[in-house]
Amino acid sequence: MARYGMALDYKNCINCKACEVACKEENGVLLGADKHRIWVGVNEIEGVWPNLSISSSSFLPSQCQQCDNAPCEEVCPTHATYYDENGVVRVDSDKCILCSYCMNACPYDARYVDDRTVTVDKCTFCSDTRLARGLTTTACQNTCPTKVRTFGDLDDPESEISILLKTRDHFSLKANLGTEPKLFYLT
Amino acid sequence: MAEAVTNEGIVAKVKAFLATIPHNKITLRDLLNYPKTPVNNFIALLTVLFLAFFVIGVGNYLIHGHEAYGVTREHPWGLLIAVYIFFVVSSTGLCIVGSLGDVFGFKDYEVISKRAIFGSIVTILSGFAVIAFEIGHPIRMMIWNVLTPGLRSAIWWMGTLYGLYLTFMIIEFVFLLKHDMRRAKIFGLIGLLVGLAAHSNLGGVFGFLNTRLISQGVFYPTYFILTAFITGIYLAFIMMGFRYRLKFPDNIRKMLVGLAKIQGLLLAILMFFETWKMMTAIYGGVPGRSDVAEHILTTWPFWAEVLLGMLIPFLIILKSKGQNVTGMFWGSLIGMVGIFFMRYDLVHDTQLKPLQMMKVREYQLPPEWVHYAPSATEIMISLGGLGICILLYYIGTKLFNLDADTEH
Repeated sequence: MARYGMALDYKNCINCKACEVACKEENGVLLGADKHRIWVGVNEIEGVWPNLSISSSSFLPSQCQQCDNAPCEEVCPTHATYYDENGVVRVDSDKCILCSYCMNACPYDARYVDDRTVTVDKCTFCSDTRLARGLTTTACQNTCPTKVRTFGDLDDPESEISILLKTRDHFSLKANLGTEPKLFYLT
Repeated sequence: MAEAVTNEGIVAKVKAFLATIPHNKITLRDLLNYPKTPVNNFIALLTVLFLAFFVIGVGNYLIHGHEAYGVTREHPWGLLIAVYIFFVVSSTGLCIVGSLGDVFGFKDYEVISKRAIFGSIVTILSGFAVIAFEIGHPIRMMIWNVLTPGLRSAIWWMGTLYGLYLTFMIIEFVFLLKHDMRRAKIFGLIGLLVGLAAHSNLGGVFGFLNTRLISQGVFYPTYFILTAFITGIYLAFIMMGFRYRLKFPDNIRKMLVGLAKIQGLLLAILMFFETWKMMTAIYGGVPGRSDVAEHILTTWPFWAEVLLGMLIPFLIILKSKGQNVTGMFWGSLIGMVGIFFMRYDLVHDTQLKPLQMMKVREYQLPPEWVHYAPSATEIMISLGGLGICILLYYIGTKLFNLDADTEH
């Protein structure tokens, strides 16, 4: 069993959205503005031309943070949200009653309603697609042209992600909430 | 064969027990036989209209699912959640008012116990009727709530305890009808405690949202109990006002004056709480709390809540020192409109602040405040809930004697 996490060298992101396309393709995510498992947040350039702050323009790829202490798992009344054997936060669509409590509790707005199952869905690190086929990469990581994402086992000290986290400074989103995300943003 | 006999025995016993519950035999003709005054006709027409809305709204929901609602990914809880809270708060409030006489032994309030407890049953049933069409899979909920209960979920506790509460309320009501005051008191007390636990858990559903700073914390679980009591008193005035056509006998007037004085105190406490809630929320400029609170102060539903739900009824009570019970009947009708806005604000304001503050699509501005407007389907189901409530209450007034027993 592994404890999967992802490191994002987010300053390399060029907002090509190949990750979003690959995710939709791999996981069969329906099209639609509010149907996304992963996304790229954009900070527009600040200032008025010609005094523009180039450094203010940035991209922040984001998705479910795969928290070790996930609020969505805690609030679920039927245990439809659970941790799988690899520490990935998953949704059992047979148990989900669509009360939407998890959507309100997730600090990262990482959940959406899948219109096919009429239940809540989210990023699963491609657990039921690529990982289930024996691959060790996620679709978003595999397709990224600038190698923003590094996916791997946090419990394996020799894994690429573990070495990256040991050698590079990093931060987590909304770390003050104590959710202990397994997505790490490299600085 | 033996099993069949046993089952028949149980059915016979249940039938025998039901036959011992005092009730009137009524037909559809009895239901249609009411004094044909303009007000009665108007309420009857409105009820039929609301019930028709319910059927249309539910039909639309069954065809289109949540697409028929105005809810979004950023605002997953909408009007139906607010209306559910409106009804269950009413139920808990009526349970508290009903308990004053039967459980706590305040003799003056025994005259409303039976009516209030029946009201608490019909309001929670109306709430369940509405929430059944907001929860995506209500049948699945009943199965998995039992098989794999999420004991750390406030929704699980709230739902389970409300189920138990309804059971105890029905048992208490039966004993009240049978004039078995000792058993009514026991089940009334258990029902009240379970109801208060359920209701504070409903506040906990919001209070546990650590990421929603405007709602997170101890405020809502306690505030829910306070506002339930206030709602219960408003409804007591409305029920008694209709029952006696505003011509109150002395014992009823005495009870209502008492309730008005309690209401004055409760409203003062509520306004005190609200003021401090807003001040502590704004103070210090904490992002996600201060900005949301300041934004709330600029929205008209908040001021509708304050004016209609608190200030106007409070001034009516203050002006006459609680003696103007007819004025408080009208004040209570206004107050209930304010209470509706209170519930709507609670749900909407919790979700005002976007959790993802960067733009994610081209031709989009960075998110500011999350917008929500209820759809026609949501409005129809909500009004339908009110229709169900009025209809069930009306049937109850025909089927049972909801007035205090003469021995009192």
